[in-house]
Amino acid sequence: MMALLKKSSIWIAFLIALLGLPLLFDSILAISILNQMAIAIVFALSYNMLLGQGGMLSFGHAVYFGLGGFLSVHALMLIEYETMVFSILWIPLIGGLFGLLAGIFIGSFSTRKAGTVFAMISLGIGELIAASSLIFSSFFGGEAGISGDRTFGPTFFGFDFAQNIEIYYVAAVWAFIATLFMWLFTQTPAGRMANAVRDNPERAEFIGYSSRKVRFISFCASGMFAGIAGGLFALNYEFITEENLNAATSGRVLLMAYIGGLGYFIGPIIGAVVLTLMNSLLSNYSELWMLYLGIMFLLTVMFLPRGFAGFIMMHQLAWVRGNMKMLIKPYIITGIPALLFALCAIALIEMSHTEDEVFHYLGFALNPASPVTWIVILAIAGGAFYAVKRSFNQLNDAWETANAIPKEEES
Amino acid sequence: MALLSLKDVTKNFGITEIIRGVSLDIVEGEKHAIIGPNGAGKSTLFHLISGRYNVSAGSIHFKEQQIENKPPYEIARMGLARSFQVTNIFQRMSVFENIRCALFWSKGYGYSFWHLLGRQTELNDEAMHVLEQIGLADKAKFPSGELAYAEQRALELGVAVASGAELIMLDEPVAGMSHSEAENAVELIRKITEGKTLIMVEHDMNIVFDVADRISVLVYGEIIATDKPKNIRANPKVQEAYLGEAHNA
Ligand SMILES: Nc1ncnc2c1ncn2[C@@H]1O[C@H](COP(=O)(O)OP(=O)(O)OP(=O)(O)O)[C@@H](O)[C@H]1O
Ligand SMILES: [Mg+2]
Repeated sequence: MMALLKKSSIWIAFLIALLGLPLLFDSILAISILNQMAIAIVFALSYNMLLGQGGMLSFGHAVYFGLGGFLSVHALMLIEYETMVFSILWIPLIGGLFGLLAGIFIGSFSTRKAGTVFAMISLGIGELIAASSLIFSSFFGGEAGISGDRTFGPTFFGFDFAQNIEIYYVAAVWAFIATLFMWLFTQTPAGRMANAVRDNPERAEFIGYSSRKVRFISFCASGMFAGIAGGLFALNYEFITEENLNAATSGRVLLMAYIGGLGYFIGPIIGAVVLTLMNSLLSNYSELWMLYLGIMFLLTVMFLPRGFAGFIMMHQLAWVRGNMKMLIKPYIITGIPALLFALCAIALIEMSHTEDEVFHYLGFALNPASPVTWIVILAIAGGAFYAVKRSFNQLNDAWETANAIPKEEES
Repeated sequence: MALLSLKDVTKNFGITEIIRGVSLDIVEGEKHAIIGPNGAGKSTLFHLISGRYNVSAGSIHFKEQQIENKPPYEIARMGLARSFQVTNIFQRMSVFENIRCALFWSKGYGYSFWHLLGRQTELNDEAMHVLEQIGLADKAKFPSGELAYAEQRALELGVAVASGAELIMLDEPVAGMSHSEAENAVELIRKITEGKTLIMVEHDMNIVFDVADRISVLVYGEIIATDKPKNIRANPKVQEAYLGEAHNA
């Protein structure tokens, strides 16, 4: 019993976090962000079943999310017109079912090969479905999309889900269930063989497995969970458009999974949380947030190829050896000028963009028209960059010592 | 009746004929070595038998069933396992996972996504047992890509033999090892192939004459002799084509 409790403690913590967050953050904006996070977590995890666990780079994963979402909105309409009678609680299952069916159909030919062939097929299918969705407007609603209403159908203990907070709890529970099942999948023979085929599709065949079939199973499962995420989207927004199954959405889920860290189960969750926050909060402050997102992606690819999760896990060794405190000071010494440099860079970017006479930034009123402003900020940025460069060696040394094998252990 | 039987097998890559009409019978339970100079086609022959390549002509039977041009996974499921000359493991997975994956099919798990591996005690014990045999039990949790060379070779061997296949084919299992490492590896091979049929490609003559019941000599895609070790040693054709050359080198 204790062992079971210990093993599932992280899951209990996850569930408490999901259900408890709206108590801490209860503004309308916060609830809306939490809803988006729950959806994004499921979507990003489903993407990682392909790329991180199965080695399949897809540029068209929004197809399964979008199709699941469209079918879910149609199901909402059927409930509204009383063609079908069931609680909207089950809508994500409709999304999942159609995500799965789409996965079975498309996967039956796209999983033949991994690598470039798979990536190109996923891109082609993505374009095809996005274009079709605009053409078949009676089903997809053209550019305006289609909308439904989640307040119909049988109520659940008196709840009719008119409030966003009510639908958040629905999304949170589904996100928990979906996350749990995706994790359990990694603990099965099919899940492990997905890793094996990712690493070495050829050898997998010599231990009795068809690489294609292994990929196909992951692909279908991934489509199903993406469809569940689409169903959650439909419940939250009560409408869906072509934008939710096109290449931009496919690109965003790739970014989430990648920035979070493909090699770790928790990576896409981190990525989903960070990107949703950036998306919702940054877009309030700056029109250029997409640019910052792009820069962050580039920096992650170049300097943290294993994502945020990888960066955190990098410290495991130092942590185990009790050397984390050695790193704190060097991190601060390098971190402060690095932050300063980033702030200067942002100021410069924003100043080139703004059309206002005065640019308010961090309590300063800057004049974008004056060369002095530019020179001062550039000078600070240059100084900060130099400080980062100088202190970086110390950070490196500290890193080496913190991770070095202690003398007694060596022998 | 032969366990494995090749009949007039040929293989061309483009216009070059690499395997030129090989016929060979492997008897159940024998330890058979294939020797021959570099580029003779030994690995290619392994690839033809194990399904990596399609044959250009001829037939291959395993347990009296035709297997040529079948996909590797079907042949593997029939009980034919092999290792590779160049280490070919699942680099990012742990040593333990490598072995456990190699066990899945023979233990009947198939493509199951409903068995939780943590609960499959018998499977997990078996995987640990294989790790102990190949001497990697203490590295079970190591990412296999980070093992030392000899350890990777041991794992390569482990992945091949884990499933308990009846016919085991090893392509230069000790190449690149130091003398003592090779000695250990040969001991290991002897132990884990006990009671099984073995086909082994090997350049080290001491090992070959030590392990093999019979030897086939492959030169330029043709088998010029198949016989007991002492007859092979005495065979003038073999001496000229291979052994003599090796002694001069
Ligand atoms: N896929 C291929 N395409 C074209 N030629 C190939 C291919 N594979 C092997 N060959 C050629 O076939 C010949 C036999 O190669 P093989 O690897 O079977 O030799 P081998 O007897 O295993 O040699 P070694 O002792 O060096 O391992 C070589 O000349 C090689 O260049
Ligand atoms: Mg070879």
